Amino acid sequence: MSDDKDLIDSAKAGDKVAFGKLIRKYEKTIYSFAFKICRDKEKAEEAMQETFVNAYRGLKSFSGNSKFSTWLYRIVTNNCLMMHRKRSHEPVVSLEDTELFSETGELQVPHWGETPHDAVLNKELKEILDKAIEKLPLEYRIVFVMRDVEGLSTEEVGKTLRLSVPAIKSRLHRARLFLRNELNPYLTK
Amino acid sequence: MRLTDHKKYLLEMCEKVDRDLTSPTCKKLREHLAKCPDCAAYYDSLKKTILLYRNYDVEYRGSCCEEVLARLELDRPIQLVLPKRTRSKRPRRS
Repeated sequence: MSDDKDLIDSAKAGDKVAFGKLIRKYEKTIYSFAFKICRDKEKAEEAMQETFVNAYRGLKSFSGNSKFSTWLYRIVTNNCLMMHRKRSHEPVVSLEDTELFSETGELQVPHWGETPHDAVLNKELKEILDKAIEKLPLEYRIVFVMRDVEGLSTEEVGKTLRLSVPAIKSRLHRARLFLRNELNPYLTK
Repeated sequence: MRLTDHKKYLLEMCEKVDRDLTSPTCKKLREHLAKCPDCAAYYDSLKKTILLYRNYDVEYRGSCCEEVLARLELDRPIQLVLPKRTRSKRPRRS
């Protein structure tokens, strides 16, 4: 963090070498996050580049009250949202009626088989995961990725998205249930 | 147990899916999961959903540093170097 502070101060003074060091430090994180939101390598790269360009241009407004990474997450999120709104005509999916159990009175929840525990997921499974998360509205997807995949705390996600903790929790719960239900037909034993 | 009770637990499952259930605040949920196979299956599938997405990562091997810095070079204000204007001397009246 103190390393960041020195680099940020130098970059604010116009030192592009220092800013280059910040790019190298955070580019993998930002790309990975952008990919998980956009689900497309080219779009993720575009979002990442825009993020660093915007960050440099707005560096003077970075007060240092939050982590630099939190600030970058906010910028990349905005870029992903803007790109999505420009290009997308997706139908609105309602998460209101994400039913948890059937109303038949009896619960019968099928068991899922073993899932791969390492990072090697097969192509078919990746496609299933892509399809499910692409159906999830972006506002929910962002919260799910930040909190559950990237491991930010609920408070950090709230700060980044400028939303209250209850609002984050509500979106997160709906996203988790929605994704679980979408994957259910494929992963039932 | 009524369906609404299971639903109540489901909300709690969703809240606590990424926590350690051995903590005292999770006691009731832990007890319920131990005796309800359907809720246990549901809880397990929620955990696996998160795990699958966490494991699905892409590696970025390149670096965008040069391209970004090149784009930022264009931000520099352009300084036009104009030739100095010299006053032409008027011929003196005689």
